[in-house]
Amino acid sequence: MSTQTSVVDPSIGKIREEVIVCRDVHLWYGEFEALRGVSLTVKRGDATVILGPSGSGKSTFIRAMNRLEVHGEGDIIINGITLNNDVRNVAEIRREVGMVFQQFNLFPHLTVMENVTLAPINVRKWSREKSEETAMKWLTRVGIPEQAGKYPGQLSGGQQQRVAIARTLAMEPEVLLFDEPTSALDPEMVKEVLDVMSDLAGEGYTIVAVTHEMGFARGVADHIVFMDYGEILEQDEPDEFFDNPKNDRLKLFLSQILHH
Amino acid sequence: MAAITGSLTERIQGTIGRRFNWQYFLQDNITGSWLLTVWVIILALATMALTIRQMGTFPTETTLILVIWSIGILLAVAEGLHIRHSRVGRWLKTNLLSSVSNTLLTLFIMLVLYALAYSIWQWAVVNATFDENAVAPKDRNPDGATWGVIAGAWDLLMVGRFPREALWRVRTVVIFFILLGGLSLIVNKIGLWARSKLVRSIFTVFWLLSPVVVYILLAGVPAEGAFVSISSLIIGEIVVLGTFAFLWWQKVIKFSWLSLIGWTLFWPVAYIAWRAIGRSGLFPPINVSLWGGLMLTLIIATSVILLSFPMGMVLALGRRSEVRGIPWWIIWPVAIIATIWGLSTSTSEILAAPRNTFEKIIAFWPLLIIVFAYILQRTFQGNVIAATSAAVIEFVRGVPLITLLFMGIIMAPFFMPEGITLENIWAVILGYAFFSAAYMAELIRGGLQALPRGQFDAADAIGLNSLQKMRFIILPQALRIVIPGIVGQFIGSFKSSSLVAIVGLAELLGVVTLIVSNPAWLGLRQELFVFIGIIYFTGSFIMSWYSRRMETQLGVGQR
Repeated sequence: MSTQTSVVDPSIGKIREEVIVCRDVHLWYGEFEALRGVSLTVKRGDATVILGPSGSGKSTFIRAMNRLEVHGEGDIIINGITLNNDVRNVAEIRREVGMVFQQFNLFPHLTVMENVTLAPINVRKWSREKSEETAMKWLTRVGIPEQAGKYPGQLSGGQQQRVAIARTLAMEPEVLLFDEPTSALDPEMVKEVLDVMSDLAGEGYTIVAVTHEMGFARGVADHIVFMDYGEILEQDEPDEFFDNPKNDRLKLFLSQILHH
Repeated sequence: MAAITGSLTERIQGTIGRRFNWQYFLQDNITGSWLLTVWVIILALATMALTIRQMGTFPTETTLILVIWSIGILLAVAEGLHIRHSRVGRWLKTNLLSSVSNTLLTLFIMLVLYALAYSIWQWAVVNATFDENAVAPKDRNPDGATWGVIAGAWDLLMVGRFPREALWRVRTVVIFFILLGGLSLIVNKIGLWARSKLVRSIFTVFWLLSPVVVYILLAGVPAEGAFVSISSLIIGEIVVLGTFAFLWWQKVIKFSWLSLIGWTLFWPVAYIAWRAIGRSGLFPPINVSLWGGLMLTLIIATSVILLSFPMGMVLALGRRSEVRGIPWWIIWPVAIIATIWGLSTSTSEILAAPRNTFEKIIAFWPLLIIVFAYILQRTFQGNVIAATSAAVIEFVRGVPLITLLFMGIIMAPFFMPEGITLENIWAVILGYAFFSAAYMAELIRGGLQALPRGQFDAADAIGLNSLQKMRFIILPQALRIVIPGIVGQFIGSFKSSSLVAIVGLAELLGVVTLIVSNPAWLGLRQELFVFIGIIYFTGSFIMSWYSRRMETQLGVGQR
């Protein structure tokens, strides 16, 4: 595909493809224009963090990447597949892109194990045995294999979010989208989820995360994007982004969140 | 002894002194507001008047009631003052005797209930006659029930005018369901072989086949006609394989050669079995208009319940559909079938005797259907599914059930192909099912809207297609929310099935009007209405009991 350009990353000397390419994306809710021409490129294995005040369109943007929101103009190309009205493209992209939500969105009527194996069995068409084996692997990986038989309502918020991550990983996606994954958690549970996310970033998953966790942004992200009013106002490497912000609104935003 | 009595009196006096305040008592129970005072005075006077009256009619029983009531008050007071604790006293104090007005009400209602129970007992048992052969007006006791009519008209009440020589077929149906239900219960309850997949699928097959069994037994299979009709075989095969292809495409079923062979064989086997049963003459046809009584009520109610649920679900999902335009898998089959039909009828007719070249070209007009379908599919962006569903729901809900039933009976024949007549009962069931489905649809839609949007998002994000999303995530949760409403609708359908008596079907209520117009049983309304009342109550009660049980069971692990 012509859209899937390859570049040689000088720092590691490997070819790194552009997994997510967004070009001039516009999105309307009725009359309201939530995204006003956003362009972003994410390379394979990179962790990108999107920052911005509430109502800036960052959640909308990340949700548009697997078509939970339908964009009006512009292109979103994931892994060389263009997101459009074609149901098959959408299905293929959703198989490769996993998403973790602010409110966990576990299925309350299914056990943890059923939550995690549902998609592998019905979408990947794996056998039940293989799916449960994989599910157990991921539940162990996020540290809660003993909760497999419980219902989500019986778990703490942090455990629920880790189940949600295991459910996403069980589909073996290449891209992980995190939509404010720690915002609904009690402070002492934030760390357990952030640890899992940091590990995943280190393992070469391509990650796009909307978060307010500045420590995570600075320590883990390869690339940081600042959005406001539906536009990307600044994007840079973490150090440059935090130490030397150029945009006035970003300066204001950083001063507000770093001083509270 | 004296010491004990003395200490008890002291204890009571002491307790009253410490725990009881006349001022508060009066204010709470009588003088709190002028409304309360008036109410207590009226209640006291009414209770007194009733007591005196009942004392004249039933002196013994009324005295007994007064004694029981007084003991209850003593117990409640002892409980209230912490003199003596007992479970009975506690219950009485909280439930029946919590205040002066409630205490009076309790006595009043006890007296009224006794009088009521007494007269019912007198009518239904003491003065009643039970002899099946003594139902003529001269044998009846005017103050008592003539229960003989129930036994005398038993067959009519149960099956209406169903041919008496074929009653064994009804009995077979009853035995079939008792056996099937009983065995399923045993397997599920005791857990015997419940884990065996084979046993469970055998039960599923039997339950799925049960409507067919009922139909064969109660309506019979005609023997006439060709043994095998090639056209029915081919059309049926196309429908079955089309369904298979659709389900496979929607990933509801997995493809395997074994299942393909099974699906392919299904129609020929079913069709030939059907014809063989007809040929055997074991179950000669019975006119369905002879069905009646409880049997007909159950058939109508069950069919309506079983049909309205999936219909309602489709309408509810349809109304929320976000599909724009008309899907190709609807438009192309329809267009192609219409084109072939046009080519085979109109075109061949014109081509048989064309008057000029222009007509030869015109003859191929059905090909335009394909063009039209293509244009429609490419350009039309309206939400046909939602609009149609909403229109059906609103139309059906806007029309009284009786109107729908009459429409089913009077207007349906106009829409039927020539030569095919629709029995009234099927027309009624269809109309009634639509009616019920419209309400069901709105109930289910309520359940769908109660689900947080995150559930839809998560189901989409893990890659489920829309059918899987509905089946695994949305419907299980939405339906659980609306169980009480759905069961209410089921009970309503069961009870309202008596409305079909108006369009001339002899279900329970219709059969009762038949019976009371019979000279032998003339005027025995009360007995019959009490009897069918008990039947309806039992049916409704079982349904609501089962739904409560189901709610508790499904509550496991709820958020």
